Formats: sequence, C-alpha cells, structure tokens
Amino acid sequence: MIVVLGSRHDPVAAALVDAWPGAALCSADDLTRPGWAWSSAAGGPHTWVVDGAIVDDERVTGVFVRRSTVYPEELVGTHAGDRSYLAAEAHAFLVFVLATTRATVVNRGGDGSLGDEDLGPERWMRAAAEVGMAVAPLRLSSAPPRPRRLTPTVVEVVGDEVVGDAPAGAARRALALARALDLLWATMVFDGRHRLVAVTSAQSPGAEATAALGRLLATPLSP
Amino acid sequence: MILVWGPSDDPPVEYVLAALEDHPVDVVHLDDRELAGLRYDVVLAAAPSGWIELDGREVPLDRITGVYLRPGGAVDGHAALAAARVLLAVASSSAAATVVNRPASGRSNWSKPFQLGLIAAAGFAVAETLVTTDPTTAQAFLARHRRLVYKSVSGIRSIVATLDAGDADDCERLRGVATGPVQLQRWIDGVDVRVHVVGRRWFATRVESDAADYRYARLVGADVVMAPCQIPEEVAGRLVALTRRLGLLVAGADLRRTPDGEWVCFEVNPSPGFTFYEDATGQPIAAAIADLLADGPPPA
Repeated sequence: MIVVLGSRHDPVAAALVDAWPGAALCSADDLTRPGWAWSSAAGGPHTWVVDGAIVDDERVTGVFVRRSTVYPEELVGTHAGDRSYLAAEAHAFLVFVLATTRATVVNRGGDGSLGDEDLGPERWMRAAAEVGMAVAPLRLSSAPPRPRRLTPTVVEVVGDEVVGDAPAGAARRALALARALDLLWATMVFDGRHRLVAVTSAQSPGAEATAALGRLLATPLSP
Repeated sequence: MILVWGPSDDPPVEYVLAALEDHPVDVVHLDDRELAGLRYDVVLAAAPSGWIELDGREVPLDRITGVYLRPGGAVDGHAALAAARVLLAVASSSAAATVVNRPASGRSNWSKPFQLGLIAAAGFAVAETLVTTDPTTAQAFLARHRRLVYKSVSGIRSIVATLDAGDADDCERLRGVATGPVQLQRWIDGVDVRVHVVGRRWFATRVESDAADYRYARLVGADVVMAPCQIPEEVAGRLVALTRRLGLLVAGADLRRTPDGEWVCFEVNPSPGFTFYEDATGQPIAAAIADLLADGPPPA
C-alpha cells in the first residue's frame, strides 16, 4: 500500500492517490482518529490510520510526503482552543513515524523535519557546490527586490532516474545532489546559464515522475 | 564581532551579554523588536556574503565570528519575518562563525520520540515510549509498566504528569487519547540530573523534588532542591559526543540516575534556559558560553 501524506484540500495529493493503484490519503483528520500506535521498541505496535482505516506498518510499502506541517485550521473536529497545540503534536508525531516506518519514504526529511522544511537554500547551495554544480546566488535585501527574468529548465529526480531535459552534464550531478541531500524525489530548477536556482520537493510531480514514483513506492523493501 | 539575538528581558540573553563583558570583543545585541527596521543586503551562495546593519553600522558577514541565538518566537509583520529568515539563513550557513546553536541542529527536539532515537543511538538507555491514539493500546501499556509518564510529543512545553495502573481514574483518562496523539513513557525511578554541555565542558546539577515535573514544583506545592554534582567521566564524554552529533555547541540534557546506577537520558534541549540552574547552583554556565563564543569551539 502507498500512503500519501497530505491534505484533503490538496488536489495534487488527490491526483497521486488516483494515479497509484492501492494508494490512499492519510489526512489531518486521520491524525486525530483512534488507531495509531507507534512504539519506540522494535517489537511494539506500529499502526497507521489511513483514510479512516487502521493499517499495520508492515502493509505500507511507500509513503509520499505532501506536507511540511500540520496546520491548526485543518483540525476542524478539534476544539478551536486546542488546535494549535494538537497540530504541533501531530507534526511531531509524523516526524517520529516517518523516521521509523519500515516503508520507503519520499522524502524522509532530516533532523526532525517534515517535507521541504529542511531544504532551505543555505543547505542545498552548499551541497550543490560540493558535488560540483554551479549555483545561482540568491540576493536577500531589505531594499525592494529587482525583478528577475528567468528562463528555467526543470529537472525531476526520482530515485536513480532523472526526468526532464537536464542541462549538459547536469543529470549525473543532479543525482549526486539528491543523494547528498537524502532526497528520493526532487524538482531542480536551472537558469539559462545552467546554474541551479532551486531545489524543492513541494512541486507537483510531472506524469513521467509520477509513474516512476509509483514504481518506487510500491516496491516492498526486503526484510 | 559577536551577535547576540534575543529579547532583552530573556534571562539567558541577559546573562550571556553580561558574561561577554569580560572578553575584549565587539558585541552587538539585537532585540526581536528591532527586526522590522533591520537593513541588510545578503547574498546566499555556497558561502554567504554581504552585510547586516547592526548598531547603525553595515557589518560585513565575515566580521561576525560568533552568534548566540535565542529569538523570542513572536515575530510580527512581513519585514520582521523576512529579516528573521535572513538572520537564520546566515546563522545556518556561515561556516566560519561559532553559532550557538545553528537553527536546524535544534530541530530534533521538536519531536521528542524522534530525538529519543538519536539519544539511544548515542548509547544512552532511554525509557520505552509509545505514541498512540488508541485507548486499548494505551491501557495495555499502562497495565504492563504499572506507572507511566505523560508528556507532549512536540517541543511545546507541557507539564509532565504521571499515570498509575492502580488508579481507576488514570485508566479512565486514557480513553481521552482517541482525539490526538499522546506520548506515554515508562516511569523510571531515580534522581534527576540536568547536565549543561558547553563545547567540551559540562555542568551537572542534581535536582531533588517530590513533583513529577520539578520545573513546576512550586505550582503543586512541592519543593525543588538543586546542587552541583559529579557524573562519571564516561557519561559526560557520551553527552559531549551526543551534543556534537546533534550539531549543537550548547545543550541541556535531562537524565535520571536509577537506583541500579544506570543513566537514562530523556531529552536534549538545544536552547536551554540555563539561568534557572545557574541561579540555584552558582555554576558559571553563561561564562562558559561567552568563552565559547569569544574563543571558538574546541577542535573536533
């Protein structure tokens, strides 16, 4: 089973559930339903709640993360005064689950983060430089920004595959960067001078990447 | 130059600023309230460059050799938020500066059971933990361990409470877990020890209290007595290594020494309110942090 971790209001999450056979959405509603049990002990219980049903972790082959936080406003079944606290608790719980599930997680996130939270330019720029990629500098100023024209080339990385027209020689480095950042899926944007402008996992995967992700997430890990 | 970023009325900020007065270094304090008017021009690349206006001067980033970060959290308005993001990005990416602590390094503490896995991987005993929304599983966990601790899963501070299997009300209370994830932990008997790690130095404080959560002892009419104590060099060495592995230069670790002499570690706080302990024990924690900022971290 593939679990798409996202919002009921996210059309991309819904489209991915439709695209992948046997996939189901784990929404914020599910995080406040009875049935979750996640132990720190290897032999302890590990159960999800996915689309209202209790699912043993052993049944989950892959998890696709489509959120970088749980918003208080999503927890409509919770008393308004408790939503912020519960959203923080649910977020922290997901970090624990994703770090310890047996399933393939796209992307697992590092250091206690969820989704793109850990993928700031200060991190990917250094990693890109280390794998020999040219990086477009990012200027941050208190003065009003100057408009910038960009003719982007977009490349998607899924596992060991590169989807899209990577600039010459960039495919190998894109894979190396994804590995360095521990990303199984990412969109990388290059400018007209073939310099890396952005790395994100928050974009919608294109058709080819969606198919490749479906194969990756449906493959059971060897025990 | 050393940049101290945090509210003026935050005791750790106040203590670090005072301790830095003993060092012949240029120190600038930035209060959260100044963020909205902060001027900067920063270029993020493999190594950041540019300047930030501090104390009315355009300070090149490479002149900032030390940063102590303890922002208050409540940053309002677009300009202030943008400035806070720039400062955090600079603090994260500046390779040369001593940063206490780099923002991403503290993130593990925002999910306590996640951090517990890192603590266990560093060789510490940890309390068996269950996070659940299932009342039956929660009740079975209580029946098995007889006494549990309930505390928040996230970094949001909650008052630690205990649950006893012999108390029918406690068993009934566990029905409430069905509305959202709740963290339950096996109760560990023993004496609380808080250890502040600063680079390679450490300050251990023994804490005695009848309250389940000594930080709130006075709220429940209990006493709390704190005193400096020694811990085995081997435990201290493991804590220093764990702090470094988490990417931190300063941390506050919560441990309990069991009657069998085992050291159980519960969590590592990346932004410890160390003045609570310094006031009670006289341990020179702020001075050690100031030394670290002024002199740089010890070699790995």
